[in-house]
Amino acid sequence: MKTNLIKTISKIALVLIPALTLSMTAAAHDPKLHAKKPEKADCSKMDHSKMDMKDPVAMAMMKKCMKQAEASSDKMDGEMDHSKMMDDKMDHDKMDHDKMDDKDMKTDEHNNH
Amino acid sequence: MKILKLLLLLVVLGIAVAATAIYSGIVNVAADEPHSDLVYWLLEETRETSIKKAAQDIEVPDLADPELLLSGGVDYNFMCASCHLKPGQKESDMSVGLYPAPPNLTIAAQSHEGHEHGDDAQSARKNFWVIKHGIKASGMPAWGKTHDDKRIWAMVAFLRRLPELTADQYQILTALDPNDNQEMDH
Repeated sequence: MKTNLIKTISKIALVLIPALTLSMTAAAHDPKLHAKKPEKADCSKMDHSKMDMKDPVAMAMMKKCMKQAEASSDKMDGEMDHSKMMDDKMDHDKMDHDKMDDKDMKTDEHNNH
Repeated sequence: MKILKLLLLLVVLGIAVAATAIYSGIVNVAADEPHSDLVYWLLEETRETSIKKAAQDIEVPDLADPELLLSGGVDYNFMCASCHLKPGQKESDMSVGLYPAPPNLTIAAQSHEGHEHGDDAQSARKNFWVIKHGIKASGMPAWGKTHDDKRIWAMVAFLRRLPELTADQYQILTALDPNDNQEMDH
């Protein structure tokens, strides 16, 4: 009975020890090297003066940056739907003016509330 | 009769040598130990001839559409750049560790040592075939199992322009806006 148990434990150890050792080596270097996060195109680095607008690379870059600009402006519009901002529906009494930044108040031209 | 006996002996000897090589464990398969020059040449020639023959009848579509660069660029960045590098990059874990070393695709095909690339069309055919079918025992996967021909041609279009791209151009072409709804099925 005991010998069977020892045999089973030895077998498990035989599998587990190399597996653990291997997995530790795999995690040994910086995982950031392999992480690929989506990132925005850095369109500020486009040098229009050096670009040949007939070149497919330049055309592709322009297309990408225009699409990105459109997407971010759409997103802004979505987040701030000005058409729904009706002044008469804003309950200014419920606004805690103490918590408002003084700087913002000075620059805010809507100070006749 | 004598010739037949000699041939039989040679066959038996050949099988014995092959069996010894296979089962004795003398062949070193470690990727950090390079092949001998002869073995390397044999494998390289076999691979190049095979790809050339397999790809010779592939019809190359028009690869000038800028949209192809955008789609191919994103795919290259996610699927290939870790081995085949980005502009300005000299090496990566994969490019150093893999054997045979994956070619640096940020430099022009003519600069690669060892084999001919042919003209633009031939190079495009070969690239398409390799991306689609992969290469056995080299670390190059067969992307055709998960990507359609259109996407693979887009990668080929991107590869044609890759050696000319600056790091900034590469970043813009390959970036994937997190807010964009573009498909990311890698």
